[in-house]
Amino acid sequence: MTLLLSVFVLLFQEAGEGRLAQMARGVKNPDLSKFLVIAALLFIIGVAGVLTRRNIIVIFMSIELILNAANLNFIAFSMHLQETGNVNAIAGQIFTVFVIVVAAAEAAIGLGIVIALYRNKETIWVDEIDLLKW
Amino acid sequence: MTLSGWSAFFFWFFGLAAIFAGLLTVMARNAVHSALFLISSLVSVAALFILANAEFIAGVQILVYVGGVMVLFLFVIMLVNVGAQERGSEEIFNRPRQVTASLIFCFLLVAGVLFAVNTGYQKLSDLRSQQAANQPVAGNARLRRGATLTSSITTQSETFGAALYRYGSLPFEIASVLLLVAIIGSVMLARTLKQERSADDVAPEVLAEEVREHPEVANVEVDSESRS
Repeated sequence: MTLLLSVFVLLFQEAGEGRLAQMARGVKNPDLSKFLVIAALLFIIGVAGVLTRRNIIVIFMSIELILNAANLNFIAFSMHLQETGNVNAIAGQIFTVFVIVVAAAEAAIGLGIVIALYRNKETIWVDEIDLLKW
Repeated sequence: MTLSGWSAFFFWFFGLAAIFAGLLTVMARNAVHSALFLISSLVSVAALFILANAEFIAGVQILVYVGGVMVLFLFVIMLVNVGAQERGSEEIFNRPRQVTASLIFCFLLVAGVLFAVNTGYQKLSDLRSQQAANQPVAGNARLRRGATLTSSITTQSETFGAALYRYGSLPFEIASVLLLVAIIGSVMLARTLKQERSADDVAPEVLAEEVREHPEVANVEVDSESRS
């Protein structure tokens, strides 16, 4: 609960006076920073999933979540730069496509590894896959 | 760049939906539920892409992620048996000490990132308002109208396609090679011993040992053409 509260305090603390009015304006007219905040939260959720789960398939899904947060950042900055009249602002979207391609390749290889692993070790719990541990 | 009106409403709706679906992805006990929550999170992120003027990327996101990658995930979940966690007999999270440490780490990370966004954004928005003063904002006025005359057709996909082939053609080719390697690699990795035997691609001593345990492997026909 305190964690959630401090997240909200950090989310809405802004410089200067009239904090509440500024907060209301920020909620009513979300701009680049709100995109970044949502992407950051998605990223953190993904990191938490990678670090805490035992099921290797869910760990892969958390990695997809992390990559999506990165994509959201790329798209938000691309939009921001287009607004300021940057000529090459579309590069963010191009990068996003390549991130999606690499994510697809990674998922194919990773799930192939999972199947091979399951065939040999009969488990998908990562704490039981400790062949290299000493 | 600020959203307003219904755009703002949909921004918060889909943003919160993406975050909650992501949380449920990480916390769901059943892996199939996890995959379905991840699908809804990805769709919400695609909606955010549309709000950020990236319609083409939103389409690619839904086609590739939801249509391709997630179906692959669901297939693999069904291939590897996950009955134990459905019955609730298995702990889904790792050891408590590791969970505590990683949650503390994640909390520090989110605090740092939010602080950086809050402080760094002030300068960025100042810069933007400076630049926007110099640049006339390109509105929707110059866009072509749709057939129903209620909406206008954006040129976003056109711009994106031109830029992809102008600035990113070499990475595009490299990406195609990467996908080819990924296809071949995953087929190689997921091959069973039976399939390896039929391609005559397994070491004799390994084969002898396996035949002792599973006699049916010896009966597989060896493809004579691949032997040469």
